[in-house]
Amino acid sequence: MAPKNRNPAATQSSTQTVPSTPAAAPKPSSSSTKKPGSGGAYDAQDIVLGIWNKYVEKTPQRVKLLDTFMGFLVVVAVLQFLYCIIVGNFPFNAFLSGFSATVGQFVLTASLRIQTNPENKSEFENISHERAFADFVLGSFLLHFFCVNFIN
Amino acid sequence: MAATEGDQFLKQATGPKTRGLLRVIILVLIAGAAVSSRLFSVIRFESIIHEFDPWFNFRATKYLVANGFYDFWDWFDDRTWHPLGRVTGGTLYPGLMVTSGVIYHFLRFLTLPVDIRNICVLLAPAFSGLTAFATYLLTNEMVSSPSAGLLAAAFMGITPGYISRSVAGSYDNEAIAIFLLVFTFFLWIKAVKLGSMFWGALTALFYGYMVSAWGGYVFITNLLPLHAFVLICMGRYSPRLYVSYTSWYALGTLASMQIPFVGFLPIRSSEHMSALGVFGLIQLVAFVEFVRAQLPSKQFQTLLRALVVLIFVVAVGGLVLLTVGGVIAPWTGRFYSLWDTGYAKIHIPIIASVSEHQPTAWPAFFFDLNLMIFLFPAGVYMCFRTLTDEQVFIVIYSVLASYFAGVMVRLMLTLTPIVCVAAAMAFSQILDTYLDAKTPKVDAKTAENGSSEPAKVAAAAVLSDGLRSTRNPLVGIYSYASRVTVVGFSAIYLLIFVLHCTWVTSNAYSSPSVVLASRLPDGSQHIIDDYREAYYWLRQNTPENAKIMSWWDYGYQIGGMADRPTLVDNNTWNNTHIATVGKAMSSKEEVSYPIMRQHEVDYVLVVFGGLLGYSGDDINKFLWMVRIAEGIWPEEVKERSFFTPRGEYRVDEGATDTMKNSLMYKMSYYNYNSLFPAGQAQDRVRNVRLPSEGPQLNVIDEAFTSENWIIRIYKVKDLDNFGRDHHSAVSFDKGHKKKRAAKRKGPKVLRVE
Amino acid sequence: MRSFPLLSSCVAALSSFASAELNHSQPLLSKQVLSGTFTPPQVFKNANLVRTTNLDKSYPRETINVIIENVDSKPQSEYYLPFESSLISNVGGFEAKDKKAPELGNFKVEVVEFDTESTTGFYLIHLPSPLAPKAQRTISITYSLLKSLSPVPAQISQADKQYLQYTFSAYTPSAYVTANQKTKLKFPNVDVPDYTTLPSELNAEKKTDPQRQGSTFTYGPYADIPAGASQPVTVRYESTKPVTHATLLERDIEISHWGGNLATEERYWLTNLGASLKTHFSRVEWQKSQYMNPPTTALKQINIPLAPGVLSPYFVDDIGNVSTSRFRPGARESTLELKPRYPIFGAWNYNFKIGWDAPLSTYLRKISGDSYILKVPFLEGPRMPEGVQYSRVNLRVILPEGATNVKFSTTVPLIDQSTTLHRTFMDTIGRTSLTLSAINLIDDFRDRDLIVTYDYPWTAGFRKPMVITLGMFALLAVVYVVGSVDTSIGKKKNA
Repeated sequence: MAPKNRNPAATQSSTQTVPSTPAAAPKPSSSSTKKPGSGGAYDAQDIVLGIWNKYVEKTPQRVKLLDTFMGFLVVVAVLQFLYCIIVGNFPFNAFLSGFSATVGQFVLTASLRIQTNPENKSEFENISHERAFADFVLGSFLLHFFCVNFIN
Repeated sequence: MAATEGDQFLKQATGPKTRGLLRVIILVLIAGAAVSSRLFSVIRFESIIHEFDPWFNFRATKYLVANGFYDFWDWFDDRTWHPLGRVTGGTLYPGLMVTSGVIYHFLRFLTLPVDIRNICVLLAPAFSGLTAFATYLLTNEMVSSPSAGLLAAAFMGITPGYISRSVAGSYDNEAIAIFLLVFTFFLWIKAVKLGSMFWGALTALFYGYMVSAWGGYVFITNLLPLHAFVLICMGRYSPRLYVSYTSWYALGTLASMQIPFVGFLPIRSSEHMSALGVFGLIQLVAFVEFVRAQLPSKQFQTLLRALVVLIFVVAVGGLVLLTVGGVIAPWTGRFYSLWDTGYAKIHIPIIASVSEHQPTAWPAFFFDLNLMIFLFPAGVYMCFRTLTDEQVFIVIYSVLASYFAGVMVRLMLTLTPIVCVAAAMAFSQILDTYLDAKTPKVDAKTAENGSSEPAKVAAAAVLSDGLRSTRNPLVGIYSYASRVTVVGFSAIYLLIFVLHCTWVTSNAYSSPSVVLASRLPDGSQHIIDDYREAYYWLRQNTPENAKIMSWWDYGYQIGGMADRPTLVDNNTWNNTHIATVGKAMSSKEEVSYPIMRQHEVDYVLVVFGGLLGYSGDDINKFLWMVRIAEGIWPEEVKERSFFTPRGEYRVDEGATDTMKNSLMYKMSYYNYNSLFPAGQAQDRVRNVRLPSEGPQLNVIDEAFTSENWIIRIYKVKDLDNFGRDHHSAVSFDKGHKKKRAAKRKGPKVLRVE
Repeated sequence: MRSFPLLSSCVAALSSFASAELNHSQPLLSKQVLSGTFTPPQVFKNANLVRTTNLDKSYPRETINVIIENVDSKPQSEYYLPFESSLISNVGGFEAKDKKAPELGNFKVEVVEFDTESTTGFYLIHLPSPLAPKAQRTISITYSLLKSLSPVPAQISQADKQYLQYTFSAYTPSAYVTANQKTKLKFPNVDVPDYTTLPSELNAEKKTDPQRQGSTFTYGPYADIPAGASQPVTVRYESTKPVTHATLLERDIEISHWGGNLATEERYWLTNLGASLKTHFSRVEWQKSQYMNPPTTALKQINIPLAPGVLSPYFVDDIGNVSTSRFRPGARESTLELKPRYPIFGAWNYNFKIGWDAPLSTYLRKISGDSYILKVPFLEGPRMPEGVQYSRVNLRVILPEGATNVKFSTTVPLIDQSTTLHRTFMDTIGRTSLTLSAINLIDDFRDRDLIVTYDYPWTAGFRKPMVITLGMFALLAVVYVVGSVDTSIGKKKNA
């Protein structure tokens, strides 16, 4: 990985998904995030906008890349879940391993993001970025090994 | 303990390397002590597989070694649960067998011709050495004093609570599972401390191994989320927790689903839901934290917090709904019995009938843990004082495990590690305080004189600042006398502990239960080997496919030692089938015979201890058979009718007719009275005099009885050649015989009456 | 039983008639007797033949002392002895020697190939020196017939007496004309309820056979019996003893030069061929009878005499140690007393394994330089009054790793031999192991020795320490390499 550069560069369209990021695991969250928002519509809009601006400004490029990937995973997971609900879960093994692969990959990426995020530097003194990435690769290997094994 | 005495004179010369070496040596010695104290059973008896379940594990291991891994995975066993069979490959925890299979092949690769039986026998002691090491690691994560780790390792190595399940020959899942349990916890603590995906993944790997080895993995599945949950509730959420928990859960759940027996359980059954819930919660918390970091608005924080609570409530509600709706499997019976100890007795007699599922009697705690049971609360209290993340874990673990151990004897095993850790922490605190070499005036010499734990002296010198007790109450330790007293008494307590452990191990936990030992009047040991006598007779002298009917306790042993198909065994997966056997045993011959014919039974095996006074026999277990049968056929089998009108369970003259006519009663006492002078037949278990006239058997023949009558085997008769029913056939034969016999024995019989 | 003598005499008459008729045309060349293509040439005549059948043990032992005479014009050295093909596979320990010169040792003996359809097979005895025409020689042939006694009745009660039945021909089977012969039967006791009587016409002295004398019966003498003639006779006698039969005995002898140890392990597959139980086994009856200790058909105890100096014996079976054994070390002989888990009644089986260690110095000698000579008993095993029969014995002598030039000699008739490599306990090339097989042995072969010579260079003894040392070094090297690789990654990471 290249050395860090804090570049508040232009954002991509996919950043749209970022707010719904944690929705991956507990579904209800996505729906309920709006509820408190609707309480004070103006405030909420302001806040969201504020978050957005701050995010765009402060987040390093690489972290954004990770966020994009996480967003993609969330989309895939939601699609799989919808498919499962609509079409049925016949090869349950397959659905389950696909779904857990996305979820697992998501949390691993999130972990990587947390570990490499300079804001969390104090929490992870012992873990260099390279180490974090190596761990991430190891975790992913394990994850996909299990998934492939489970899918039959 | 003896191990730590090795370095008495080296305590001052403690460079970091020397200390490291010493620690390694001490650990090796502790492992050696742990292994050797488990070899009592081999020395007292022989290298033999113990008890019941290990025989199945042994048989499965032999199958694995003989047929390879894939066959083992798909193993359908038609020699058990005749005529149903059992999908053995999919209904067992393969970790144990695979472990010994790997060891076996590794040794073969080194051209060491070790018998698979010896590997199986010695697996548990070998892993107990590893457990001691894992305990050392775990304790080291908890406190900064390495002496606590060594103490904990030593405690773990010799504590009877653990030895009871890991003596040589006790080849059961727990043999490796306790090591995995402790090691998984260690990895988890490490992961939480470092917040590393690597350690999280390792935790998941060992968790997966644990799942493959023991059903008790559910304990981990619930304890780790609980730990995470408590930390979150205490406001101690940190990204480290997120990383370690999510990487463990995501990988660990997938790993656990690789085991066919577990399969979809992690997403279907209630036991696993807490882990999933906490997983969701932690995502939420992480998101909230993320957002909060972006927006430090106080008002908004409260809003978010409310949001979190709301979502949590919704999620739990959804879970409950799903459970009620049947999507998620409700708790299994064994788990209900964890909350309500009376539950099993009423609803699932088959679970209640297993002695290790009974609630623990309080002396058992002292018996299994001895001195540590007093130190344990002290250790937990010490955790409260500092209360770092990992010490929260200790607290949670000890509370949960204490409860479970109180509910079920068997779960004493999960309590033992934490007791060892906590006790070692408390004990090392005492020693560290009282052996602190830094105290003015009274220094090294005193310590040397009074100490049997000099490793701690060295250790105390290292830490000294972290603990308040070593800083503040120096006052108390000025006194030479108090030093000597406390240290001396500690040493004595430790000594007593060691003696107790050795005594318990050698006397209580080393019996294989397949072989019984008794003492002859001259003090020499006499081996009672009736089980193997009868099993070997079956193995050698009956057709390969002769079906044996016996109570399920003996199913695994028959499969392992006699190598014959059985109707039911200790797997107890099919309650109806067991009830069928129970019904056959508790009914009249005319009812039992069609049942036995239907199931193609060739031989019936009963255990009878009346001659020897062996109390674990079938007549004493008979009520369970009746109860289990009654559960399925309440009309035909009634427990009440086995009791006398006064509510007594009797086998003598006063026994009820139902009792006297039951097949089990007849098989146990058939021909027994002819061993005694007329009218003197005595049952030495129940201490009663038996009716002068023994029971008559019509549909089965006595085929074999072991030397001390413990095992009796009966052959089920074929249908009568002339189409008579068996009763009339027997009385016809008897009629002939009687005429002849009467000439010789007639007067004798008269005199008796 | 009553009809038996009548029937058998009928058969006898018929067969003697048949053989007499055959004799006219060409001796022993008839379809009934020999459908194969082979016939022994009629070059000998049995001048006088005495056969002794000993029924003391649980198998018949026969000794044939015969004076043979060369009736051919050329010197002859090949003497044939016929057996029915059903019987020949049960003939054990067949040995022939010169009665008058036993020091010559056993003659070379072989089973003549016979085709599968033939009802007769032959043992061919090679006389050490050809017998001149008209010359005579006394040879003594001994053999035993395994599995040839059948219990009659086949099922008895637990406490009943057992009767064994033995069927044989009153005329000793022979490929040559026998001028004069008789057969003596020695029974274990005088309780012989059934036996075939032969009419006095057959007897040369016009006596009714058999002639009883205590527990000894004599059939004969018979004069001028043609080749291949037979006269079936059945006797049934009391023998309430187990008929111990080992279907297979595997014996491993392992030599360790380093340990100075000779480890022996024997694996038995035992069966009692006696009468089976009519009803099932009754423990009450058995326990009651144990006070009196009457003769029984059950095998209760097995005594195995071992050489003095034997150490650490063990007795195990498929499911573990059998605790009911005793070992009595002695100065002249140690005894291993084994009690099976249960009394072995007729038709019951018992498989077990015993083993022991012994100091190697009593068995191994250095002859010269690197070559050694080993002398071990070919067969050990139980010594019991009723005898033991072994259908097959596989003996494996495992020599140290690196032993070469293996030679052996034994007086036990072998059917198979091979030298293979046996890998165990961290061997690299494997130990040289000599495998010998014999069939139909009896416990009389206990004192036969097996002598093995082999070369074992002293350097071979250091092979294993070297290998282990190298292995450890390799392991350490690998650990070192892996360790250094690891740190390099770590450094990168830290950087």
